[in-house]
Amino acid sequence: MSEQTTELGHSLKTLAETLIPYIVAVVAAFVVVGIFLAALGFNVLQAYATILFTSFRTPFGFIQTLQKYVPLLLQALAFTVPLTAGKFNIGGEGQLIVGAIGAAAVGIVFAGLPLPLLLPLVILAGIVCGGFWAAIPAWLLYQFGINEILTTVMMNFVSFSLIDYVATEIWRDPAAGHPTTVPIGAGGELPLLVARPPLNSGILLALFVAVLVYVYVNRTPGGYELVATGANARASRVFGINVRTMFLLSLIAGGALAGLSGAIEVAGVHHRLIEGLQSNFLLLGIIIGLIARGNLLAVPFVAFFIAVLEVGASALQRTMMIPVEIAFIVEALILLFVLLSDVVRRR
Amino acid sequence: MVGIPIGASQPPTHNSYGSSSTGKGLSALASFPLSLMKNSTILEIKGVSKTFGSVVALDDVSLQLNSNEIRGLLGGNGAGKTTLMNVLYGLYKPDAGEIYLRDEKVEIQSPKDAISYGIGMVHQHFLQIDSYTVTENIVLGTSLKNRPTLNLDQEDRQIGDLSERFGLEVNPRALIEELPMGIRQRVEILKALYRGVEVLILDEPTTNLTPQEVESFFQSLRVMVEEGMSVVFITHKLKEALSVCDRISVLRDGKNVVTVPRSEASEDTLVRAMVGAGLEVEESLLFSETGLDQEAVEVGQKSVLRVEGLQIVNEENMPLVRDCSFQIHDKEIFGIAGVAGNGQQELVEGLMGIRPIADGQISIDGASIVGKETSDLLEMGLTYIPEDRLQDGFLPTASVAQNLILGYQRQEPYSKRGFLDWKAIFRTARKLISEYNIITPSAAEAAANLSGGNIQRLMLARAFSHPAKLLVAHNPTTGLDIRSTEFVYSKLLELKEQGMATLLLSDDLDELIRLCDRIATIYRGKIVGVLERSEFNKYELGRMMSGVEAHE
Amino acid sequence: MDQFQVQFVSFARLVMLAMVPYVLASQGTMLGGRTGLFSVSQEGIMLVGASVGFLGAYLYDSILVGALLAMFVGGLFGLALAYFTTTLKMNQFVIGLSLFFIGLGLSTLLPKIVIGVTLQPPLIPTLPNVPIPGLSQIPILGDIFFNQNVLVYFAILLSIFLYYLLYKTSIGLELRSIGENPKAADSLGVNVFLMRYGTAIVGAMLMGLAGAYLPMVYAGTFTEGMAQGRGWIAIALTFFGGWSPHLIFLGALFFAGVEILALRVQVGGFGVPYQFLLMLPYIATILVMIFASRWVRAPAFLGQNYDREKRTLA
Repeated sequence: MSEQTTELGHSLKTLAETLIPYIVAVVAAFVVVGIFLAALGFNVLQAYATILFTSFRTPFGFIQTLQKYVPLLLQALAFTVPLTAGKFNIGGEGQLIVGAIGAAAVGIVFAGLPLPLLLPLVILAGIVCGGFWAAIPAWLLYQFGINEILTTVMMNFVSFSLIDYVATEIWRDPAAGHPTTVPIGAGGELPLLVARPPLNSGILLALFVAVLVYVYVNRTPGGYELVATGANARASRVFGINVRTMFLLSLIAGGALAGLSGAIEVAGVHHRLIEGLQSNFLLLGIIIGLIARGNLLAVPFVAFFIAVLEVGASALQRTMMIPVEIAFIVEALILLFVLLSDVVRRR
Repeated sequence: MVGIPIGASQPPTHNSYGSSSTGKGLSALASFPLSLMKNSTILEIKGVSKTFGSVVALDDVSLQLNSNEIRGLLGGNGAGKTTLMNVLYGLYKPDAGEIYLRDEKVEIQSPKDAISYGIGMVHQHFLQIDSYTVTENIVLGTSLKNRPTLNLDQEDRQIGDLSERFGLEVNPRALIEELPMGIRQRVEILKALYRGVEVLILDEPTTNLTPQEVESFFQSLRVMVEEGMSVVFITHKLKEALSVCDRISVLRDGKNVVTVPRSEASEDTLVRAMVGAGLEVEESLLFSETGLDQEAVEVGQKSVLRVEGLQIVNEENMPLVRDCSFQIHDKEIFGIAGVAGNGQQELVEGLMGIRPIADGQISIDGASIVGKETSDLLEMGLTYIPEDRLQDGFLPTASVAQNLILGYQRQEPYSKRGFLDWKAIFRTARKLISEYNIITPSAAEAAANLSGGNIQRLMLARAFSHPAKLLVAHNPTTGLDIRSTEFVYSKLLELKEQGMATLLLSDDLDELIRLCDRIATIYRGKIVGVLERSEFNKYELGRMMSGVEAHE
Repeated sequence: MDQFQVQFVSFARLVMLAMVPYVLASQGTMLGGRTGLFSVSQEGIMLVGASVGFLGAYLYDSILVGALLAMFVGGLFGLALAYFTTTLKMNQFVIGLSLFFIGLGLSTLLPKIVIGVTLQPPLIPTLPNVPIPGLSQIPILGDIFFNQNVLVYFAILLSIFLYYLLYKTSIGLELRSIGENPKAADSLGVNVFLMRYGTAIVGAMLMGLAGAYLPMVYAGTFTEGMAQGRGWIAIALTFFGGWSPHLIFLGALFFAGVEILALRVQVGGFGVPYQFLLMLPYIATILVMIFASRWVRAPAFLGQNYDREKRTLA
């Protein structure tokens, strides 16, 4: 009995130990950027308030945050799942784009189908296409041992050209000024949870998937094998785990998650394919994954916090003329400080 | 001239070498009054302490070295011998203590400083660049900067001369990766000799030598000492220390326990010094002469492992294991002796399904296991303790519990109906922790915090957590302190009694002689011969390890 | 000269012009790689180099100032890289990615702060050609090799210098040994610490310069993301060139060739949709990696940090 409490007590102690460095890192990042802003003559406190509280001031702000949360969460998972096995998936962007292309293609070609048929197909197409886009670098790693960081990045660049082609040549919407396709069929649209301001049900899908991923990694032997591979691939190999398969499958899973985020952007947000829909989700997703240090329990929370910062940053640019990139700097600094806190803890 | 003192603070330069590469140096030595040099203190280490985190590696250790002396530094693993020498060589910074070279205090902050003071170190695990030649490895870091091109012809010749003088023959232009262990060790020693060191530290130099090679190595040592060198000889092997060292110090738990000249030293006193209190030396396996009373447990009749004509090749189709055949019975500990690098690792990997098999048969209880997945083998009752514990068997970022189930995650009771049963896992983990005495606050604790001995206990616990027929153990006690080594031995014997068949591969002949029922020797991937317990003879085994067939 | 020769010369000249950022960034990567540093921040450093180089040239009306500033900022990134990996022993990929983010973020942030958000970004003077007297008169070859801007000459000379340094000097022997076995090098007195810092900083300075080259020669101004993946391609180049300066130089010529070819075909209107031509450099990179993976041997300790006091359990 006492062993149980020791383990519980151990967990609580670890939780406290983990949270404190994060809080310190966030504060430190804000302080550094605050000094920078003050030097440029901005009202620092107003900036802080805007970036942190915009999400909570109005229903619109909150909905916008949730809307942004979905792709961030999925992109973070797309990076973190392969990271668990020790692999770096930097291709979430390309996988999102190709997933979106697949989803839009199905949504446009089968536009006539009713909702119960079209929507699942659209989502599925996104997942499959995203997974496929990751399978190429995954296979290159499996077969030739080529480092996946480089290949996934290259696939990103290829996907930029691809989406441009699709949105300009294949299903172009002539009325739009920017490369955009015609809308997908109404049956492919994700139903709304809230009408005004609009919040689509993609968030339910994303949260469900996050839970699924967590359960798989932490509660199944397959998930254990993933974790073991990431901890020591050689030792895992010696003790019977097929490490190369772990690499392959984890990357494809990452691609599928990113593809899902692309499908949701098409089916839920834009209802068509728009060039540039990938925004800066990839970078934010990786930052979230790294800040959460690969911990699948922390990812949803960190992702939410980053979503808040991003919404706040747009408000910052609108109301105070502070460039929106400042949020990016804050996030990068938080990451750096979190990493440093790791070093401090080691000593 | 090697070793002739040229002043403590004057770095031996490349040029000082070139001037005496011929016999000129030897004749100069003849007139040098060596008798005056003997028994003068050349090096003194005073009160050195070093702590790593919470582990006290060295506790106020003092050591004094005379010129022309072979100084033994004896102790079990973890006693602090290598740590002390790493401090002397500038690889570690001590928390306290001073070093005096010829009565002058010196500061050694890095290996570069140590070398400039004439101190050289030959590490247990060779520090060589595989893709460089012998010469490139030896001259790396010496001052060649004055030359615009990297033409090493002159150096090649000098090294050739050096190697001849000390009987350490090498080909200066050979690539390191093509050389066998014995020759690579010569390169390590030449690295120090080339720099004109006066104090040479040798860390477990006989690890990879056959008994015959050890003899000739000791002879080379005496030549070096006569030519003016002082040697610190680190070892955990009592008999070696007694046979070659002039004075012996024993380290235990980071303290210098006793220092005796050879004339006054006896095995008994040294053993007690090494082991300390708390371990009955009479009952100890490690220090017993012949090992346990073998009549106690007879070897069984059933053939558990049968290997026939095993052939394993590398990517270029070169054989690493050649036509290997042997058999192991239940209740038997079957040893394989050999110098490291003769195919042991490949054999073990082939048995465990980690490496593909080119030809031959392996069967367990009569059923063939060739081509089976490692995970199946683990389920079938094979269990494995790899040589490189950290790299091949340890998950540093995972918890102790997670480490304990590695390889068994899909078996009962750890997983049920496709999901992991963490309650069962922790229950078993707690049981194993207490049974194997693994020191950790809890099973959920990060495994990275475990000490070396505890990591090995974890490996053992895991290996025996599931019922097994055959244990494959590769160097299970390297780097372990005396207590942990005893524990491993007693566990192996306990399991033997319970019916397990064990394949024990070890670089340590004494260990094999103590524990095994039969010993085979491997040389260049081939089993050279098998000796029964009644036939155990160190020199015979040594010859077999060098490839000579056993006498019928 | 006939029509074919004219085409060839103009193509070759453009290739020489285009190879510079690839050469600089890859040689910089190679230097770090030889001491065991696997950098993945090149794209970020190039972007911030482009941004800072542009701003410097704009503010001080001098390309030289811009270039020096870009190298300085690059050097800072290199210093950070070295500090976090060599001294603090943090994971090289994670640090590399983090610095990539910071470089990326800064590259778009700084122009907005310094110049403000404008529709028409200001222009800076471009790097002029410096014909070498005498040599540039040689028919065909003279125009291609000796009638270029100063950084083209620098890229060529740099590659020759690095080849000599690595393989023909004792410093090169020591440098390479660190990437192969840092503990062995350290035990022989090689200054691992200094060399790791040195190669990281100098390498990053080259990457910064590579970035600054882009506004100075290509566009005359800074646009977001203008490196367009060259930083990432540089990693493949270094790998493909087996961490050897001469092979890297050849590889850079190849990639520049692909880049210019894609441009040419686009302009020539061969009926291939231009989007697919734009993909060419990236697909070429992947193919090159497949090809190279068979015979390339990386420095043994690439990507690993070295801790002198690390206790290895025997």
